[in-house]
Amino acid sequence: MRSQGAGWFTRITQGMGIAALLWCVTPATVQAQEAADFFRQNCVSCHTIGGGRLTGPDLKNVEGQQDREWLVRFMMNPQAVVNQGDPYAQKLVEEARGVVMPQIVGMTRERAESLLDLIAAESKLESSQFGGTAISDAPFTPEEISQGRRLFLGEQRLANGGPPCISCHTAKHLGGLSGGRLGPDLSRVYERLEGRKNLAAWLGAPATAVMAPIFKKHSIKQEEVLALVAYLEDQTAKGGEDMSVGGLTFLLIGLGGSGLALVAFDLAWRRRFRSARKELVLKSTGRGEEL
Amino acid sequence: MNVRSQIAMVFHLDKCIGCHTCSIACKNVWTDRKGAEYMWWNNVETKPGTGFPTAWEDQEKYNGGWELHNGELRLKSTSKTKTVLNIFHHPNMPTMDDYYEPWTYDYQNLFNAPEGPDQPTAVPISTVTGELINIKAGPNWDDDLGGSKIYAANDPNLDGLTAEQQNQLSAVERLVFFYFPRICNHCLNPACVAACPSGAIYKRGEDGIVLIDQNRCRGWRACVPACPYKKVYFNWHTGKSEKCILCYPRLETGQAPACFHSCVGRIRYLGVLLYDASKIEEVGKMPADELIEAQREMILDPHDPEVIAAARANGVHDSVIESAQMSPVYKFVKVWKIALPPHIEYRTLPMLFYVPPMAPVMSERHNGPVRNIGENDNLFHEIDEARVPMKFLANLFGGGHEAKVRYALRKQKAVRWYRRSLTVGDVTKELADRILAEAGSTREEAEAIYRLTSLCTFDERFVIPPMHREEAIEMMEDPLEHKQNVGFGFLTGPKRGL
Repeated sequence: MRSQGAGWFTRITQGMGIAALLWCVTPATVQAQEAADFFRQNCVSCHTIGGGRLTGPDLKNVEGQQDREWLVRFMMNPQAVVNQGDPYAQKLVEEARGVVMPQIVGMTRERAESLLDLIAAESKLESSQFGGTAISDAPFTPEEISQGRRLFLGEQRLANGGPPCISCHTAKHLGGLSGGRLGPDLSRVYERLEGRKNLAAWLGAPATAVMAPIFKKHSIKQEEVLALVAYLEDQTAKGGEDMSVGGLTFLLIGLGGSGLALVAFDLAWRRRFRSARKELVLKSTGRGEEL
Repeated sequence: MNVRSQIAMVFHLDKCIGCHTCSIACKNVWTDRKGAEYMWWNNVETKPGTGFPTAWEDQEKYNGGWELHNGELRLKSTSKTKTVLNIFHHPNMPTMDDYYEPWTYDYQNLFNAPEGPDQPTAVPISTVTGELINIKAGPNWDDDLGGSKIYAANDPNLDGLTAEQQNQLSAVERLVFFYFPRICNHCLNPACVAACPSGAIYKRGEDGIVLIDQNRCRGWRACVPACPYKKVYFNWHTGKSEKCILCYPRLETGQAPACFHSCVGRIRYLGVLLYDASKIEEVGKMPADELIEAQREMILDPHDPEVIAAARANGVHDSVIESAQMSPVYKFVKVWKIALPPHIEYRTLPMLFYVPPMAPVMSERHNGPVRNIGENDNLFHEIDEARVPMKFLANLFGGGHEAKVRYALRKQKAVRWYRRSLTVGDVTKELADRILAEAGSTREEAEAIYRLTSLCTFDERFVIPPMHREEAIEMMEDPLEHKQNVGFGFLTGPKRGL
């Protein structure tokens, strides 16, 4: 058994060695493509390259502002750098109104380096593929808003098969028991993210730990993003307090529903067998429990 | 004709003394285990009484057995749809209270009790909860008319009796009861088999014993409500159902089942019947008053060459056919027609038959000597004047119809007249012959009934066929399949042969 186990171990380490070797000899273009994919999946919800700031700063020519070593350190663990009291990091947090860049899963030194290479390359271009979503300031049409509502409610399916917002989020004026409670209430998300551009960027590549793995595989299409932005903007515009079903209402509905279910079961099985002996004793003596 | 063999039984109620020895023999052999405490594969009930579980014959409540619905047989308790609908709760399941909460006694207290002014006692303790219990029911709670105002008065077989008849059952100097020992009937059309969603219950092909495969049983318990005789029990410890196995390990080694073997009154008979299995469905659908006769028709004459040939063609061994020819059950059920199935109206076609009991001699006294009641101061009163109303026996053994029960009782009574004429001599031979003729019997038949009833030997009561397990096994498995195989520990089979 022991020698066999050692054999496995050797094989695994060998395999890892070969993988490392392959990584080193991978052509530069493949690496660049990979970095672009990673950027699209993880960064574009807060950053653009030459498209102005969203939640995070515009990354065009970022290496002109800080040296590469600092940037790599920050990318690998932003919170740690902020906690160290680094003045530039503090400034970034301030600019983002207190939002600290989350730690990105899969961010290694190599990856950070390749991302910086990508940013540098994209910065030289006239218009980067990561220039952010162009979104007009014109008011949304009622059709767009209602399409957004349908997408939110799941009445119209997301084209790439992502789950509708309502499965985890709620919003105002949904009626009934409203939406899900797993994610935050989206009634004022437009306000929180400060405008269409940020919201659209977020929806383009949702970055939270829960949403990212789902929407990586089933991204939301550009026109769907617009419709959802329209709907969420409309939600904020309508204003009013967050209106969700309160805990008490939920409890009462639950209790009432359980009660009704019990009554229904009792009716459905009303001819069920209850007891033969107790009934006989009760009938004959009038004292069911005593005999 | 699809001839099969069935181990069938007759219980001669006129001989049962209600000693419960059969129950104890069975309990000690099979159900003296955790989870099986409350099971009585064999139990003895007092009639009138509600039996075990309480009022099991009340199918309005328990919904056991089959019913005719638009000419088709249908289980009362379940169906394919109902199995799904009732998957978490079976509405016809008896409760523990209808059996009883099993208990033991705190015997240790007899030894360990602290010194005090009183004798220590062994108090009853529930074997389910381990707590002290106030015993409210037991397996023979209404034995010998115990609590008769509650139990005997509510016997479902009293249905159809007039209020006067019911009152007389418990009247002073008229009071009557008899015993009704019960085991699984190993029915020809078993409701438990039909109800099982797992296909775990089967009727053994070679001898008709109904068994539950403990490996396939999934504890759905559909069999428990389905059996109208409530002879399938759920083991709460193993989570599987169990029932009487007719002591097949004993039968396979040529011994009578434990309850048969131990019977003090020698009331039990066991033997093979050959029957036509192709008629089961047709017979099950007969009108209620024709069921008994139809079931008798199914049972075939083992001396008929045609039947023998058909049996052989079906793989019934010659030794089993020979055994069927000597079967005491065949004589009681088919030749003499004095043994009747219990509650044939449940349509499961039980293969345990009962010789209905003769009621005790009835007499009365009016300011003078004791006189026997009946025509001409008859010693053996007319059966219709017996203490047990005919209707009551008809509800039990005649599917509600009196004719077959009356026939069986008249013949039994005729045998008594005949024997009286021989041994005591205060009855003339002519009178005995007349009574025999009226009962549809002859001297020869009466003599045979008398011998098998009163003088029967062990081997006459239990005609156990060779079970031929080796052949039965070959139907399912190849005995040579593992010939080259070896046990644990070797990697290659040993070389055998040349």
